[in-house]
Amino acid sequence: MASTTRPGRFLPGDPRVAEPYRLTPQLAFRVALLAFLALAVFAMLFLRLWALQVLSGDKYLAVANDNRVRTLRLEAPRGPVLDRNGNVLVGIVPGWRVELWPADLPKTWPAQRTELQALSGLTGVSLKDILALLNRHAGDPLTPIVVQRGLRQDQIFYLKEHNAQFPGVRLANSYLRKYPYQSLGAQILGYVGQITAEEYKTMKKRGYQPTDSIGQAGIEATYDTYLRGKDGKAQLTVDSRGVPKGAVTPLVGATPGQALRLTIDIGLQRAAERALSYGIQLAHNGGYTYADGGAIVAMDPRDGAILAMASSPTYQPSIFTGHKDPKKLAPLLDLKAADAANHPGINRAIDAAYPPGSTFKPVTALAAMQEHLITPTQQLLCSPSYTAYKQVFNNWTNLINQWIDLPTALAMSCDTYFYELGKRFYLLPADRGHPLQGWANRFGLGQKTLIDVSPEVSGLIPTPEWRRNFYSKSKGYGIVDRTWKPGYSIQMSIGQGQILTTPLQMTRLYAMIANGGNLVTPHIADDVEIAGVKGQPIRVLRRFGAQPPQPTNVDPTALSYVQRGLEEATHSSIGTGAGVFGNFPVDIAGKTGSAEKLVQLPGFPHPSNQTQSWWCGYGPYNQPTIVVCALIENGGHGGTSAAPAALKVFQQYFGKNGQGQITNHLSD
Amino acid sequence: MTIEAVDRSARGLRAQRSSEAVGLGGALRRLDWVLLGGLVATAGYGLWAIDGITMHDAGGSSMTRQALYVFAGGLLFLGTLFIDPGTYRRLWRPIYFGTLGLMVFVLAAGAVARGSRRWVDVGFFKFQPSEFGKVLFVLALAGFLAERSRSINSVRATLAAIGYGLVPILLVFVQPDIGTALVYTSALGAVLLIAGVRWWHLGALATATVISALAVLWLLPAAGVNVLKPYQAARLTGFTHPANDPRGSTYNLRQSITAVGAGGLRGRGVLGATQTRLNYLPEHSTDFAFASLAEERGFFGASILLLLYLLIVWRALKIVTSARDMYAAIVAGGIAFMFMFQVFVNAAMTMGIAPITGIPLPFVSVGGSSMITNFLAIGILQAIYLRRPGRRRG
Repeated sequence: MASTTRPGRFLPGDPRVAEPYRLTPQLAFRVALLAFLALAVFAMLFLRLWALQVLSGDKYLAVANDNRVRTLRLEAPRGPVLDRNGNVLVGIVPGWRVELWPADLPKTWPAQRTELQALSGLTGVSLKDILALLNRHAGDPLTPIVVQRGLRQDQIFYLKEHNAQFPGVRLANSYLRKYPYQSLGAQILGYVGQITAEEYKTMKKRGYQPTDSIGQAGIEATYDTYLRGKDGKAQLTVDSRGVPKGAVTPLVGATPGQALRLTIDIGLQRAAERALSYGIQLAHNGGYTYADGGAIVAMDPRDGAILAMASSPTYQPSIFTGHKDPKKLAPLLDLKAADAANHPGINRAIDAAYPPGSTFKPVTALAAMQEHLITPTQQLLCSPSYTAYKQVFNNWTNLINQWIDLPTALAMSCDTYFYELGKRFYLLPADRGHPLQGWANRFGLGQKTLIDVSPEVSGLIPTPEWRRNFYSKSKGYGIVDRTWKPGYSIQMSIGQGQILTTPLQMTRLYAMIANGGNLVTPHIADDVEIAGVKGQPIRVLRRFGAQPPQPTNVDPTALSYVQRGLEEATHSSIGTGAGVFGNFPVDIAGKTGSAEKLVQLPGFPHPSNQTQSWWCGYGPYNQPTIVVCALIENGGHGGTSAAPAALKVFQQYFGKNGQGQITNHLSD
Repeated sequence: MTIEAVDRSARGLRAQRSSEAVGLGGALRRLDWVLLGGLVATAGYGLWAIDGITMHDAGGSSMTRQALYVFAGGLLFLGTLFIDPGTYRRLWRPIYFGTLGLMVFVLAAGAVARGSRRWVDVGFFKFQPSEFGKVLFVLALAGFLAERSRSINSVRATLAAIGYGLVPILLVFVQPDIGTALVYTSALGAVLLIAGVRWWHLGALATATVISALAVLWLLPAAGVNVLKPYQAARLTGFTHPANDPRGSTYNLRQSITAVGAGGLRGRGVLGATQTRLNYLPEHSTDFAFASLAEERGFFGASILLLLYLLIVWRALKIVTSARDMYAAIVAGGIAFMFMFQVFVNAAMTMGIAPITGIPLPFVSVGGSSMITNFLAIGILQAIYLRRPGRRRG
């Protein structure tokens, strides 16, 4: 090819360019300017490159690693809840949870919405709820959000098969609460649920995570720290679309939660719950058609160990696990639905207060003896009615007119006897204070029992001071409303008026009578322990045990007369509970109560007076090991429904023939 | 287009009318060997870089395909050497209108990808006229300016040149391809500068550019007229506040800066570069190739590429000063500045100091049109250098 060229003709003058072209100084300057610009530009690039890679390289390396590494939570199995004999009341069953990883969701909103809609359709969690969850965790795209726990098998298969359509959605192992005894003990066991925003605020200092599940009520809430265990950690590398690359690398294994042993005996608990239904049925049969709820507490009077605590109506705690049906949850979460269902979520043994009626009479009797207003053998007239301050106070029966002593007054529950004591309390000079209320407080009434489940109400022991403050001028009440009238003292002597007590408070009161004057602290949890695996013995980690009973310093002689009165009430021919307990082989002592209470019944325009049926007592009389208090709402007279219900509990405890006895590993 | 294929009988080497052919032997001696070395080194380095960048992509490494483009580009480069730049000057009108025609054709019948109409599908190859247009644009505008070289100081000439320039710029802008439109604008500025347009004309042009940019990004949207789509405006302005909205328009930028930074001094290697490998860095084989290279090869690896670019820019500017005539000088200056501008905007955007635009990184980004155009551009520079005045050898 070289031969065809003619080098001599290279670059002749261009005839069309008049002047020969030359590099002018002006052009040279402009080119130099470009060169300078080029140097500046490249210098800028090098500087920036240096700044990013060398000066801040470590920082960005960390960011890049955070990008790709996902820290997974290995959920710890929640510890089981056992009854006193080791029966599993609340267990676990392995399941799945669906998690959303916000960082791995599609980057564009339409794609994200399509995916979340599909997820919503699959899990049944509404798109609105999912978006609300996402918003709640908007600042933290690397922490997964639990959308749903406990999927059905077909849902899991679908998700696994179509996981390419669900970037940022991951299935993880989870555990669900299992309730082998269904609704038994629902209110004391409580349930587990997602931590709420408010709860997280107060609990994050204690190491809780925004996606944690925590105990929301009952002992699940009280003993959450023991039951929850400790979640483990694992790592996973993912690509930009959240698709896992490689296997999950465990870092820290999960520590299972500890087992919580309760003082509850599941057999007795079942008996108590059945007894409640039985009592309500008896009330209906007796014409008290509005009987619709109640509570029974069984407790060891020596140390306050709760053996059974039943509340009716009740619910299935399992509705809080897995797929949640809003219809089933409504009675527990929505006030209107709860009204219609008569509040199954309320633990009536501690979270509801009633006038105690005649079950309060032992307090009046003890206080009157302590204050020397009466001696146990002194006789007062028991008559059809009692008149004081131009007011007539009726006895519960008008078939009587005789002089009786204190034990007999308790046994036959004579109201006029106690009206007279109430009047004597009213007539005490001001410097003596209000001893009836004082003794009631000393016996644990009007204050919380501090049992280890919540919520608990304190009830009310009204005093003249309380009345003055409560009906204050600022609330628009007049001087007449604020005045403590003699009738209030007289009514209080038989547990009526504004006085309110919880069934557990009354249980504690009768435990005090049974154990010789000591006030116990009721408790449900006995210890936390690690379950014995394969023949290994159970290892108790922490024993909550009983608090030492507090002496009330009540006079033992006075107490013995009250005990005798309670024993006569269940055995003497004049006793109000003799018909129920007289033939039971074990010597039971106890007191009926029929308390008038204004109740707003559903479907009625105004509140009406309904009789609350009470029975509280203990046995065996000489060496009491169990105290039982039964309350049937609107259940009529104590003997009608509450006393027979309580007997069912004693029958379970002692056996029908009185030979059986609850095994008690706590008595060591 | 008047690019001729290499003719075995070397017909193109003969004198054609007034233009002079160059002998191959002399041509070889007169070539800018430094620039040629830079070209070969950059293309080779780019192939090695893209191999690492695309190794873990779904389709596997793009190196083979890129090598094919390099080969095609090399052939075109050789062919360009034989064409006297004067040819382009004479033919600037057909070049100009041919380019416009292609761009209109793209808008009318081009393939849409990622919301933009940039490509013409010719079967085996997706051809991007706006890429080739870069060089043709410079060739045509330079032709016009050389023609008016005597009246170059007049406002009229300047306005006419700007008018000629604006038409293709707008055609690219509406594809929409803002990045390439910016490259065209930079080339327009450069050819005006080298052509000797008065300083105050240039100043007025710069001011007008700034004002129109402000208008497009801020004033008109404020008045309710949206020239850009929201995502475009967000991308362009996103680099000024990268911490905003990490999931949205600045996601790419954050991932890109993270990739560059994570590379460190020595780079994370092809296996360790998780930003690239796990696809956190989007478009890492095209728009964000620089970030990917910086992640895999570190400061050293990225610096080598930048130095190679600097070498090319330096030689190109040198060619401006040794050009035979005004036309050649303008062409060389336009190509040199345009090349530098592309490198800067692309590398700077991956590091968060320039707006995010879809400009390919010369000799690295996957794409035939860009690769071949760059070879063409360097070929024209060499052709100019070959025909420089001065000592003749042989």
